[in-house]
Amino acid sequence: MLKIWSMKQQQQQAENAEGAAGKKKKKVTAAQLRVQRDLQELTLGNTMKMAFPDKDDILNFTLTIEPDEGMYKGGSFVFTFAVNQNFPHDPPKVKCTQKIYHPNIDLEGNVCLNILREDWKPVLNLNAVIVGMQFLFLEPNASDPLNKEAAEDLRQNRDMFKRNIRASMGGGSVRGVQFDKVLR
Amino acid sequence: MATADRWTHLYKVLSKSGPFSDPDWVPGDETIKSLEESKILVIGAGGLGCEILKNLALSGFKDIHVIDMDTIDISNLNRQFLFRQSDIGKPKAEVAAAFVEKRVKGVKITPYVGKIQDKDEGYYMQFKIVVCGLDSIEARRWINSTLVGMVDMDNPESLKPLIDGGTEGFKGQARVILPSLTSCIECQLDMHAPRPAVPLCTIATIPRQPQHCIEWAHQIAWQDKRKDDAFDSDDMEHIGWVYNAALERSKEFNIPGVTFQMAQGVVKNIIPAIASTNAVIAAATTSEALKIATSCNPFLENYMMYAGEEGVYTYTFEAEKKSDCPVCGNLARKLTVNGDFTLEEFIEMLGERPEAQLKKPSLRTEEKTLYQRFPPQLEEQTRANLKLKLRDLLTSGQEVAVSDPAYTIDFRFQLVFA
Amino acid sequence: MASDFPQTQVGPSSKERKYDRQLRLWAASGQQALEESRVLLVNSDGPWGDKSTGVSGVVGVETLKNLVLPGIGGFTIVDPAVVTEPDLGVNFFLEDESLGKSRAEETCRLLKELNPDVEGSFYSKTIAEILKEEPDFVSQYRLVLLSGPIKHSSLQSLCSAAKTPGVPVLYTRSVGFYSAFSLQLPAVFPIVETHPDPESTQDLRLLNPWPELAEAEASISNLDSLDDHHHGHVPYVLLLLHYLETWKKTHNGNLPLNYKEKTEFRDLVRSSARTNNPQGGEENYDEAVAAVLKSLNPFSLRSSTREIFELDECKNLTASSPEFWVIASAVSEFYEQHKVLPLPGSLPDMKAQSADYVSLQNIYKTKARKDIADVTKIIRRTESQLGRSVEIPEKDIEVFCKNASHIQVIRGRDIPQVDGDAQTQKRIRTELNNDESLIPIFIAFQVLDIVVTGIQEGKYPEGSLDDEAVWSSELDRILGALASDNSPPIDDDARDRILEAARELRRTEGGEIHNISSLTGGLVAQESLKVITRQYVPLDNTCIFNGIRSSSAMYNL
Repeated sequence: MLKIWSMKQQQQQAENAEGAAGKKKKKVTAAQLRVQRDLQELTLGNTMKMAFPDKDDILNFTLTIEPDEGMYKGGSFVFTFAVNQNFPHDPPKVKCTQKIYHPNIDLEGNVCLNILREDWKPVLNLNAVIVGMQFLFLEPNASDPLNKEAAEDLRQNRDMFKRNIRASMGGGSVRGVQFDKVLR
Repeated sequence: MATADRWTHLYKVLSKSGPFSDPDWVPGDETIKSLEESKILVIGAGGLGCEILKNLALSGFKDIHVIDMDTIDISNLNRQFLFRQSDIGKPKAEVAAAFVEKRVKGVKITPYVGKIQDKDEGYYMQFKIVVCGLDSIEARRWINSTLVGMVDMDNPESLKPLIDGGTEGFKGQARVILPSLTSCIECQLDMHAPRPAVPLCTIATIPRQPQHCIEWAHQIAWQDKRKDDAFDSDDMEHIGWVYNAALERSKEFNIPGVTFQMAQGVVKNIIPAIASTNAVIAAATTSEALKIATSCNPFLENYMMYAGEEGVYTYTFEAEKKSDCPVCGNLARKLTVNGDFTLEEFIEMLGERPEAQLKKPSLRTEEKTLYQRFPPQLEEQTRANLKLKLRDLLTSGQEVAVSDPAYTIDFRFQLVFA
Repeated sequence: MASDFPQTQVGPSSKERKYDRQLRLWAASGQQALEESRVLLVNSDGPWGDKSTGVSGVVGVETLKNLVLPGIGGFTIVDPAVVTEPDLGVNFFLEDESLGKSRAEETCRLLKELNPDVEGSFYSKTIAEILKEEPDFVSQYRLVLLSGPIKHSSLQSLCSAAKTPGVPVLYTRSVGFYSAFSLQLPAVFPIVETHPDPESTQDLRLLNPWPELAEAEASISNLDSLDDHHHGHVPYVLLLLHYLETWKKTHNGNLPLNYKEKTEFRDLVRSSARTNNPQGGEENYDEAVAAVLKSLNPFSLRSSTREIFELDECKNLTASSPEFWVIASAVSEFYEQHKVLPLPGSLPDMKAQSADYVSLQNIYKTKARKDIADVTKIIRRTESQLGRSVEIPEKDIEVFCKNASHIQVIRGRDIPQVDGDAQTQKRIRTELNNDESLIPIFIAFQVLDIVVTGIQEGKYPEGSLDDEAVWSSELDRILGALASDNSPPIDDDARDRILEAARELRRTEGGEIHNISSLTGGLVAQESLKVITRQYVPLDNTCIFNGIRSSSAMYNL
């Protein structure tokens, strides 16, 4: 290496001077590149829509899920996705923007989905996350809840749980908690 | 005369070849001169960085730069030996640089207090070697991809060896990366174990361990009760609040074992760190820097693992370069195009290139989404770009990254307008 | 239990904050041991001829840096050298103003700046002079660091002065890109807190549950009728116990013991999970399935523990036996009675409702406390039989019982010499047959020791440090000694490898390269910490570092 260096030294100094004067040129980051690819490989179906508040920033977007079957049919649920520069080493951060009645989503919008946390691996992609999210609305899981009351209702009385979902989606309150109107 | 005397020991290995040095190597004054002229960058002035600076200064490097954005904290003093009680709150890079400069006469150390991302390629281009002593994977990935991106096949000088060290308790590793030639940090990403996480629902509803109570206080109770205060893990009042909330919850569930120290450890993700491990790993990296800069002995190819819990254990091996590595798998190719081409015409041209017939590409620059084929919302938002001229979308010399579903690997092109 | 829940917020003291990152490794007990210890550094032993001041002592000073920072009680530097220009190019703990002054004094002064909690003192003379005036000088220290190469007579007298009071010695050499160090421990060096991998210490006793654990299993005899929520939250430990009972019913009361039976048992567990749910399975069952091969093993005593129980020190206690042996003997007796060691009492985290997990955890903890009480009873009986006046603190018994499965005893050996005892020679000969071995570097250092001894005793001129003829003839003398006693002669390849290593040592004429000495100082400090805190497992007994290949190896010589 030393040999190469000494040979190239003078030539390089000249080029350096030139380069330093030039404009700062940024590389597409590994996270951006991976998201570009992941987005391209998504399968959304007609129950999901994405929106990019800033089309040039593909690391921050929203996903709207509008289930066409199951207990949450008729609702329109909006999630924010924030992907950091350490993606895919770190999982994307997903939050529900509305206050909704769901055993696996708390009132602050936190989502309990294994692949968003303990089971995240860099080989997983955004599609896996989106499929998982969609599943939460088809099959809410009472066994490991974030919203304990909702889970309790689902376990004890499925019909009441369904009624509560309808009421909450219409902007009504359940057990004294007022929910956001999310009907389409 | 005094100088030569001072460096008696070092000059011996630089002036005399050994049984394992390259037979073509010419020891002596030229080697010494080239070492002294090698500008070297140290990233991080913490546990590893302090040691690295000392070691480089005593290895004959004369022009050393150091970057660190942090200030000195009391918990640094058990290993970051260039800092004293009275330095608490001052920037690490400045204090460390001043100390070593004062102690080792004739060395110049230039500190920069700030982030590595503040600097551009022009800055990194001035160094011969970069040595990293970081605790963040993100920062490592950034410098790695920056240095890989700087490699210009026509200019060997653009290849900056990256020497990386890391420690955790009694364990550590040192590795040598020749950007684009050998396995890079991104190739080796799976060697960093992800931080173990507990399911959010366990934390929310069925805590079993004291750590679960602390996570609850940190992630759920804080959001609930103190939404308007930005949580600061360096603020003792904040940690105290989390500790107390965790303690209350642990009593409710009869879970013993929550301590203040544990609360701090969980919230800040504290990694144990001791002086001796840092000394070992830092010296391993600087020894490689000296060997690379002078050729006095062969350098490490390319990874050394170290563990000290049971005696002294090291394992040296050659990590493999991944052909589909998103950083070094496909280097940016220079592509000369007509700046008056529309994006659409350019895409058509990509489809005809022999090395990769990209039929359905999505493209972007660092700051702009040029064209994204899916999802439909983004396709619609970027469709208008297709009719724009390249020179209206980007500047000559800018990098464009291209993904195409037909390939598992992405492509990078540096577009130069003819 | 009250003590498990502190009532008020106790923030860390400023000392705890300063040492936070290391307390997470060796805890307050390790820190206390460190703060109660003084270390002696013998950092040179006079000049090599007229021009050289002898050992630069960088490894020694760098080691002390790594001990002063974490807060060792104190240190003493013995070094007759005066600071010269070459010292400033290699030793960070000297400055321009130090030129011509006592190196012991200057390095002591600059090391003390690192930590105001640490005391430092120095002697600007040779260790031989000190030992002449004060023969038991070494006994006030917990550890001796000796920077070589050093003449044979000085090494011998210091090592034997340390051996009598049982003070460990670390003998280091760092030259060019190579270094080597050896640890001389007392004849018997026991360690309780070896910090093994937590996975390897898991002890759930599933094949032979004690009554309270079996009772807990009985509480889920209605497993099949539990609702889905409860069924999915039964801790896997209870699931395994439950299905073991099921298994026994169809296997004449026998447990699944061999691999085939265990995989069949695993299939039984797997097929019992409920799958008619959104997740298509149950996490607690997944955990149970994953634990079968690992956890369903009859208790077996590690051979290293068995050997400790067989030692004379354990079998023949006296009134003055060290605490370790009194406890070890009691634990051995406990083992004879129960065929298991005291239960460590920890339970890994597992899918379960909070209250169920906590009550299961309490069953393990209660059993562990009961076992400790049993061991304590044996100890108290022994103490009164032996007429020991001071009771062993309960805390120490508890720590021992928790770590009983991984205790270790190192049989200390002298600093190895090529012309030393038969065992060392045999191991070196074996290693020389392996062309990847680092032993040639060790032998090259031995030659260097001999050359330095020759220079200091006037047998060789100073220039011998790089005199091929001298090295070659001394090497042949060593190889001759190694090859005696009916063993085959050392082959030429091995001799060449030693000569290559010797050439690298001659390259710097005994001088240190800062990087290699700093790295070695890190390794030596780490071993010092382990010896002083009696935590983790120290080197047994020689480590060689090759800075050309960035590799190291350990040898028991």
